[in-house]
Amino acid sequence: MGIVEEAHNVRVLGSGERIIVLGHGFGTDQSVWKHLIPHLVEDHRVILYDNMGAGPTNPEYFDFDRYSTLEGYAYDVLAILEELQVESCIFVGHSVSAIVGALASITRPDLFSKIVMISASPRYLNDVDYYGGFEQEDLDQLFEAMRSNYKAWCAGFAPLAVGGDMDSVAVQEFSRTLFNMRPDIALSVAQTIFQSDMRQFLSLVTVPCHIVQSMKDLAVPVVVSEYLHTHFGGHSIVEVMASDGHLPQLSSPDIVIPVLLRHIRFDIAV
Amino acid sequence: MRAGLSTIQQTLTPEAATVLNHSIAEAARRNHGQTTPLHVAATLLASPSGYLRQACIRSHPNSSHPLQCRALELCFSVALERLPSAQNLSPGIDPPISNALMAALKRAQAHQRRGCPEQQQQPLLAVKVELEQLIVSILDDPSVSRVMREASFSSPAVKATIEQSLNASSSINSSTIGGGLGFRPAQTANRNLYLNPRLQQQQQGSSPQSGQQRTEEVKKAFDILLRAKKRNPVFVGESELESVVRELLQRIERREVGDGPLRNVQLISLDKDFPLDRTQISMKLKELEVLVETKINSCSSSDAGGVILDLGDLKWLVEQPTGFGSPGPAQIQQQIVSETGRIAVAEMAKLLARFNEGCAGRLWLIGTATCETYLRCQVYHPSMENDWDLQAVPITARNPHPGLFPRFGSNGILSSSVESLAPLKSFPPAPPALARRPSENIDPAQRMSCCPQCMENYEQELAKLVAKQFEKSSSEAKPEATRSSLPPWLQMAKPDIVKDQMQAKDQELMWKQKTQELQKKWDDTCLHLHPNFHRSIGSDRIAPPALSMTSLYNSNLLQRQPFQPKLSLTRSLGGTLLMNKSQPPNQHSEREVTPPGSPVRTDLALGRPKISENSPEKNHNERIKDFAGCISSQQQDNVSDWQKDKAITPLDADSFKMLFKGLTEKVGWQTEAASVVATTVTQCKSGNNKRRGGAARGETWLLFVGPDRVGKKKMASALSELVCSSNPVIIHIGSQSSDDEVLDKNFRGKTVLDRIVETVRRNPFSLILLEDIDRADMLVHGGIKRAMERGRLADSHGREVSLGNTIFVLTASWLPENLKNLSNCIPVDEEKLASVAGSDWQLKLSVSVKTSKRRADWLHDDDRVTKPRKESAPGLSFDLNEAADAEDDGREGSRNSSDLTVEHEHGRSLVNVRPSTTTASVQLRSSTTTPLSYELLNFADETITFKPVDFDSLRSKIASTIASRFAAIVGDSWSVEVDTETLEKIVGGVWFSQTQVVDWADKVLVPSFHQMKTGLSSAAISDDTAIIRLVSVRDSEGQQNSEEWRLPDKITVAVDNRL
Repeated sequence: MGIVEEAHNVRVLGSGERIIVLGHGFGTDQSVWKHLIPHLVEDHRVILYDNMGAGPTNPEYFDFDRYSTLEGYAYDVLAILEELQVESCIFVGHSVSAIVGALASITRPDLFSKIVMISASPRYLNDVDYYGGFEQEDLDQLFEAMRSNYKAWCAGFAPLAVGGDMDSVAVQEFSRTLFNMRPDIALSVAQTIFQSDMRQFLSLVTVPCHIVQSMKDLAVPVVVSEYLHTHFGGHSIVEVMASDGHLPQLSSPDIVIPVLLRHIRFDIAV
Repeated sequence: MRAGLSTIQQTLTPEAATVLNHSIAEAARRNHGQTTPLHVAATLLASPSGYLRQACIRSHPNSSHPLQCRALELCFSVALERLPSAQNLSPGIDPPISNALMAALKRAQAHQRRGCPEQQQQPLLAVKVELEQLIVSILDDPSVSRVMREASFSSPAVKATIEQSLNASSSINSSTIGGGLGFRPAQTANRNLYLNPRLQQQQQGSSPQSGQQRTEEVKKAFDILLRAKKRNPVFVGESELESVVRELLQRIERREVGDGPLRNVQLISLDKDFPLDRTQISMKLKELEVLVETKINSCSSSDAGGVILDLGDLKWLVEQPTGFGSPGPAQIQQQIVSETGRIAVAEMAKLLARFNEGCAGRLWLIGTATCETYLRCQVYHPSMENDWDLQAVPITARNPHPGLFPRFGSNGILSSSVESLAPLKSFPPAPPALARRPSENIDPAQRMSCCPQCMENYEQELAKLVAKQFEKSSSEAKPEATRSSLPPWLQMAKPDIVKDQMQAKDQELMWKQKTQELQKKWDDTCLHLHPNFHRSIGSDRIAPPALSMTSLYNSNLLQRQPFQPKLSLTRSLGGTLLMNKSQPPNQHSEREVTPPGSPVRTDLALGRPKISENSPEKNHNERIKDFAGCISSQQQDNVSDWQKDKAITPLDADSFKMLFKGLTEKVGWQTEAASVVATTVTQCKSGNNKRRGGAARGETWLLFVGPDRVGKKKMASALSELVCSSNPVIIHIGSQSSDDEVLDKNFRGKTVLDRIVETVRRNPFSLILLEDIDRADMLVHGGIKRAMERGRLADSHGREVSLGNTIFVLTASWLPENLKNLSNCIPVDEEKLASVAGSDWQLKLSVSVKTSKRRADWLHDDDRVTKPRKESAPGLSFDLNEAADAEDDGREGSRNSSDLTVEHEHGRSLVNVRPSTTTASVQLRSSTTTPLSYELLNFADETITFKPVDFDSLRSKIASTIASRFAAIVGDSWSVEVDTETLEKIVGGVWFSQTQVVDWADKVLVPSFHQMKTGLSSAAISDDTAIIRLVSVRDSEGQQNSEEWRLPDKITVAVDNRL
C-alpha cells in the first residue's frame, strides 16, 4: 500500500467498471458514507478515503500551511487518484469535499467524469450580492467557541448541523467524528472552509456537476445551490431533497440514498 | 483503456504526429513501459534545428552558449534513464501513451481549439494540434519543467518565448490557459507531485524503503556489468554514492552474483591519490596495466575471470588536484587539468580495449561521479563515454534538494525559475505561474505571521544564515563550494563571466529558498508553541488563499470573458430543456422521493417561500446562540422534548381546572384574574386564540394590568411553574438598573429587545415576564408590537427569532379606561409600601416613659437622617395620611400634562417628598405611553386586570395580631404601641415577602415579647409610667439584602434600666 493510501486510509471496495470516489466533509470521516456504500459495491468500484485532519488520520501529516487553502485538499484527492492510477471517476463529495472535488477537476478535468455534490457551498459568508448564510461575526463567534471549549462546541454544533435532536443516532455519530479531530486542526480546517471563497473558480469547472441539497440546511441555504447551478462552467443540475440538515446522507438515508444513486447512475442529458 | 494511437494522431498535424511517433519509437528503443512527456521533449530537442531548441536558446537570459543546450539534452537523457523499463511488455508493441502525455495532448487540443475563436463550434476532431501547441503543452508538464530547471532553463520562459513568436508570426491567438492548471504529476518518475510533503518526508524517513531502493540500484549495476556494450557503470548522483559502491563491491567479494562471468572477478581499487600530476599519470597507468594483467592472468586458468577496476570518484579527470597549488592564470590550470585527464582517458581506453579484445578475462570499470563531474567529463573528454564503455547509473538522493521538489503551498513549483526571469516577465502571456503567493515571493517579511518571540528567533537564525552565506561567497574561489547549489553544472562549462553571473543568480535563488524554509519553520513552530497568538490573527492568516488562487486563474478569466454571456445563455436554455428530457428516465426510479416530473425550478420554488426567508434566518439565529453557549442547547433540547409531549396533550377543561387551582393557590386574592389567565392560556395552547385567526402560533401574549405588582408577579411565576415548570425570566423594561433582581452580566450593554431575543433563543419554551411595559420606550414598544403581530422578534441587529412556545406576560400598572371606575375604592399604595418596606430596617422593642402627648419624634428624626434615599422612591413617607392619598387619587384621574410637570418638579426637588410622588411619577410615564400601550391591549391574547389590593385589612390584621400576642405574653397591664410607620413597614414586609402574619408573629414577635417580659420584671419598671414601643430602626448591616422584601427576623429588645 502506498504512502498516500495509508495516510488517507484509502479503501477500495466492490468491483465494476466505473469508479466512484466518495469524499467526506468537515467533521466526519469515510464512515459517513456507510449507508450509501452497500448500494454501490455491487456494480462500482468505490474508493473511500479520509481527508487529512479527520479523526482517523495521523495529525502529524496535517500541514497547517498546505491545508490553509482548499487547494491542499484538492491535491490530496489528485494524489490519491494518481496513486491508484484512476483514469476517470465519478466524484461524490459532501460539503467541503464537493468544492474540493470541483477544484481538483479544474486541474485535471480528465480524471472526473462528473461530480455529485451534496450540501456544497462556494462561500459561507454573505456578500453584497450573495447569500451564504453567515456573517463574519457569526463565524468569529463560532471560532471562538471552538477555541474555548471544543468538546462543548461539538456537542452544540452536532445537533445543529445534523438537524436532529441530541439523542438521534446521526447526531451521536457526527459528534463522535467531530470530536475525533484534534481541536487545533479542527479549528484550522473550519477556518479554512468557512472563510473560503471559491466563487470565481466555479466558471472554470467544466465537469458536469450534480448538486444535491437538503431542503433545510444550517450551513448551506438553498439559494446557494441555485448559485452554483448558474455559475458552473459546465452542465449542472440541482435537486433539493426533502431532507433536513447538513449531513443528509447520514441523518435521512432513506430519502437521500435513492437520490444519490439516481444521480450517480444517470448523467445529465445534453 | 486508452484512446487508440491512430485516434490521437488524427488530432495532430503531420508535424506533431511525427514527433509523437519518434517519441514512441524512442521509448520503445529504451524499453520503457510508457511514452511520457519526457520522451517527447527529448525528441523535440534532438532535432538540431528544432523549434524547441531555438526557443530554449532564445529564452535563456544569458548568452546562448551551445553548451547550454547540450546540457539540456544530457539532463533529458539522464531523466529518461531514470525511467523504469517495462517489465512485461511484449517486444512488438509500442509503449502506450502515459497519462501525463495524454493530458498534455488534451491540453494542446484544448489550446488549439480555444486559439481560434471562429472555429469555436467546430467538432473536436476538426482541430489539429500544431507543433507549437504540442510544445507548449509539453512544457507545461511538471516532469519536463523540472528537468529543464535542472539545466537552468525555465519552461515558462521558454513557453513565453514560443508564444511570443506565435503571436508575432501568425494570427493564431494562442493562449496560456491552463499553463498553471494543467500540470501533471511525474508519475513516470515515481513521484506523485500532488503528494502531501509531510508524507514525502515520512517516506524518506523510512529506512526499509531506501534500503530496497539501494539494492535495486546495485542490481541494475550488475545488469550493466553483464552487458556486452556500455557495461561499465558509473554511479551518478549527488549523495550516497559511496554506500552504493560499497554494497556492490561487497556483494562481488562475497560471490553473491551467481554463475555469470562475474563469478571470479577480482577487485582493484585506485589509490585515493592516484593521479597527482601529468608527469606521474602515465607511469601510474602503466603500473595499473601491469597489475591488471597479472590479476587476469592469475585467474585465467579458471574459465571466466576478470578484474573490476574501481576508479572511485572521477573528479580527478576534470579537476585540478588540490596539491597542484602554484597560482597561475585560470586558463592554464584548466588546460593542465584537461591535459592530465586526456592522457588518463586515452590510456584507460587502451587498457580496456586490450583486455576486452583478449578472451582470457575481462576488465570492468566502476566509478562514481556527481552529475556535475559526469557532465564535465562528457564535455572535456567527449570520447570517454564511448571509449570507456560507460553507462551512467543515476542514484536518486533520499532527500531531494529543497529546490528540486519544493513543497506545494510554501512556494510554487516554478516560482524560483519565474523569479529568475526578470527580463521575460513583461511578456503579455506571463507564465501563469504556480507561484501561487506573490506576496511570499516578493517580500518574505510580509507573510510572517509569527508572534514577536518567534519572530525574534527567526531573525536571529536569519542573521546566522546571512553570515554563513557571506562566508561562503567570500570563499567562492573554489568552484566546488557551490556544488550543493541547484543547477551547478553549467557554470563549470561556461566562460567565467557567465559563471559568476549564474552563481550569483543561483545563490540568490538558494538564499530565497533558505529564508523561506526558515520562515516556514518558525511559522510552524510558532503555530504550535503559541497557538494563542495565531488565534488572534487567525482570520488574517486565512485571508490570503482566496487571493492566491485568483492570481492563478485570472488570466483565464480574462480570456473567457468575451464568451461568457453566450455560454451562460445557452446553458440556461439547455438547463430547462434538459431537465424535461432527463426526467422520464428518472421517473421509474424512486418515484416516491421527489415529485415526478418536477423540474429543477419547481424544486427550488417549493423550497423557497419558507426556507429562503425564514428558516435560514431562524437557523442562523439559533446557531449563533449555540455557538456562543452550546451548553444551553442541551437544556433546550431536553425542555423541548418535554415540551413537545406536553404540547401534544390537549389542554382541556381538566387542564384549565388544574391551572386555575394552581394559580389561585398562589395568588389567592386575585381569583378573577387567575380564572381569566387560566382560560386564556388554555385556549392559546389548544390553538384558538382571539387575534391570530387560526394561524397556529405557539406563543402567548398576556397583558397584566392593574396596580397589584406582587399579584402580577406571583401570577406570572405560578403560571410559569405550572406550564413551563421553570421559573419565569423576568425582564424589567422600565428602569433596569435600579430594581433588577438579578442583573445578568451577559445582558450588560444590550437593549431590552436583545435581552428578550436572547432569552427566547436560549429557551423558546419559557415564560418571559416583561415588567412595566408601560414604561417602555418607542423602540421596545414597537418591537414588541411587531412581535405580537408576526410571531417573530427582531433584536437590535435585525436578527429575528421565532418566538416558539414562549408565554409573554407584560405587566403594566395603569388601568384601562373602562376599568377605571372599579379602582376608586382604596388607592393603591404599593409603590409607597415597597419603598417603605424595601429600605433596610429592623424592629426594636423599647421601653420609654409614657407620654401621652409627645411621640418619640427624636427617634423618627434620627431615622430620617440615617435613612438612605432611594433613587426613584423617597423613603421618608412615614406620614401616611388620608389627605395624601386623597390627593393622589384625584391626580390619577386627571391626566393633564401641565399638572404632571408640576409633579415632576416635585419629584426632582426631593425635599420633603410627599408619599404620592412615586405613584405620580409612575403615572407620568404611563400617561405618556398609554396610547402606545393601548395598542398592545389589542394585540395581546388577553388583558387581565388585577384589582387593587385592600391593604387596610392587612394592616388591621397585623396590628391586632401584635396586640394579641403582646397581651398574651407580657400581660394586660402593659400596652404596646406601634407607630404608623412601623406598622406600614410590617405591612409592606408581609405583603411583599408573602409571609403569613401569624407565622411571623409566632417566630419573631413572640420570642422578643418573652425577652421583654424578663427584662421588665428584672428592671422593675412600673407599668403605668412606661410604655413599650415597637419601632423600626435602620438596619446597619443588612445593606446587601436591600433587594429583597423581607420582614425582620429578629427584634432587638432594649430595656432601659434608668426608668
